[in-house]
Amino acid sequence: MKRRDFLRVSTLGATASAMGGVSLLGWVPRAQAATINKTYYITDGYIEQPDGTDVYFRGYSGGRYSLNIPGESLIVQEGDTVNITIVNTLSNSHSFVIDGLVDSGSIRGGRSSSFSFVANKVGSHLFYDKLNAPYNRLVGLHGGLAVMPQASSNELYVGSPQFVQQYFWIFNDIDPVWHDQIRQGRTPTTKYIPRYFTLNGLSGRPPGAPGAHDPNIDAMTDPRTALHGHIGDRTLIRVFNAGKADQSVHTHANHMEWLTENGQIRPDIWRKDCIYLDANKGAIDVIFPFHAPMDAYPPVTTGTFPMHLHTEMSQTAAGGLYMFGSMTDIYFE
Amino acid sequence: MGRMGGGGMGGGDGGGGGGMMGGACYTYPASPATPGLVNPDVSFNRGIYMNGSMTMDDGNSVRIWGFTDGDGGMMGGGMDGGGSFPSPAMRVQEGQIVHSNLNVNGMMWVHTIHHHGIEPSMENDGVGHISWDVDGTYTYQWRASSAGTYFYHCHTNTVLHAEMGMYGALIIDPKPKPNDPAGTKRAFKDGPIYDSEVIWAVDEIDSRWHSLSWDAGTCGADVGLNLLEPDYFIITGVDGAQSALTAPGISATVQVGERLLVRYICAGYHPQEVRLGGLTADIVASDGRPLPNAVAVQSFRAISAERYDMIIDTSEPGEYIVEMDINDWVTGQTWGTAKTKITII
Repeated sequence: MKRRDFLRVSTLGATASAMGGVSLLGWVPRAQAATINKTYYITDGYIEQPDGTDVYFRGYSGGRYSLNIPGESLIVQEGDTVNITIVNTLSNSHSFVIDGLVDSGSIRGGRSSSFSFVANKVGSHLFYDKLNAPYNRLVGLHGGLAVMPQASSNELYVGSPQFVQQYFWIFNDIDPVWHDQIRQGRTPTTKYIPRYFTLNGLSGRPPGAPGAHDPNIDAMTDPRTALHGHIGDRTLIRVFNAGKADQSVHTHANHMEWLTENGQIRPDIWRKDCIYLDANKGAIDVIFPFHAPMDAYPPVTTGTFPMHLHTEMSQTAAGGLYMFGSMTDIYFE
Repeated sequence: MGRMGGGGMGGGDGGGGGGMMGGACYTYPASPATPGLVNPDVSFNRGIYMNGSMTMDDGNSVRIWGFTDGDGGMMGGGMDGGGSFPSPAMRVQEGQIVHSNLNVNGMMWVHTIHHHGIEPSMENDGVGHISWDVDGTYTYQWRASSAGTYFYHCHTNTVLHAEMGMYGALIIDPKPKPNDPAGTKRAFKDGPIYDSEVIWAVDEIDSRWHSLSWDAGTCGADVGLNLLEPDYFIITGVDGAQSALTAPGISATVQVGERLLVRYICAGYHPQEVRLGGLTADIVASDGRPLPNAVAVQSFRAISAERYDMIIDTSEPGEYIVEMDINDWVTGQTWGTAKTKITII
């Protein structure tokens, strides 16, 4: 079974591996609750889009001089005390909020703030900046937090279907006109027209494109995003939508097991190849089962398949460039 | 403020990378032999038409592309200069080995068939950037393992080709149950029995998109494929303004107690809300998989490419107008509504 470490060296800023040396994919439960310390730097900058356009973003970054979008995902255990420090390097106020868990309140420009919460809500959570809503969230101030059940390494919630590895998929849609207005401290007044579409901050780059297979640029390659597994490597994906457009999450090769919708456990587990992902902080949890594709003839156990949004406008960049949108690849190894 | 990123394409003049085909970028033309080809239990021949049209209730005509039944004519035209819309349905039985023989009719373009919801091998999944975009002929081979409602569509420049109409229904019937009387129809293995069925492939059309070329935007030109502003709302290739209210195979007239199966396919891109006009339906399956428990609904929402199979409660006589709102993916505002009718006598 594949295990990876996630030292990510990126033009978007190097990210440390996850808490306590545990990879993002696997989780080793602890007998006792722990104290988790994490610092995010609110930074800004430009990220070049597939057509060459530089677009303004803000992020919860790993350092003063990097820009991470989304912020590095956190995995903690139920009962852990989480100490967050936010260093706001920008001139305007920002916040760090997890609905139902913590609200930093306003952190003024140039200031830092430390605050704590007990991770007492098992499941998947989006952290984001609630100020100037929804604009600060849209320009990149968001990320994912997982709270694992106590003493469990393989469940989303106690009694849930089990998995062996986990990923975060955070989708966003981007109107560069809005981003520029936000950069200037203005409230956008134009009609929102999303023009770029990202998954974990990156867009797809099909084979042959500049940046293809570069994990720092290509969402199809980024190891935080592309699924890798052997048959039986049941994979939990914590899916969030930071953007403003409803989306259809579509996997090839296997149907997904649909566990939750917007934080609520589904009454039954449906097997779906497309799932409705609501705009504006919508969330679903799914398991991609990595079973042998059941209609293959002759049967196969390996292959590469896409995950893409089926709301197909999201598969474009700058009004064209099909395959330069929100998508990744799934590798049966 | 730092400047981050890199790897841009440097503007809208396209350039480099991927296979090139005429003026297209990032297509992967090939037509190899099918790995492990065997004799099929059932096969479908599919050609291409790029010059079809659909006449709307307001008298306007919109260009349509699709798959023909058979190889089609030269340069993509069938004998009648087009083809049916939606593309002809494929219907198979659980357990059958299926061949979909695609002939793209000439060297002017590439296309694929993606059997949506089917779990084939990567070579037979019809995804260009992972396998190839077919530039001649290719036989997609797979075995039908789970009865239910699917659809097939082109997966080349998909955002445009599926919007242009390159899709058709794909239905897998369960094997007959040994103790069922001959002719008994079930939605899936051991699933509910039905007497009659309709297919609602609900889609929106943005006329502006329908004058684009097959490779529009692939090299970086801004052709507005991020902005879908539909002006027509259709059900299984029939205008939902008026015509779908009475179109056979879409609207239905059934006897009280008759078991009517609706196979709903969200064939558009924007979210949809379906209101059954006062009827109640049991959703029994979705995306080609039975639900653990049926869910009774009078309305439901759906997102692109979801399928819902439902058995309509036909216990009360009446005329029921079913309304399908197509709602904007950002604002939620209704772009338009397609309508059909179920009459219970």
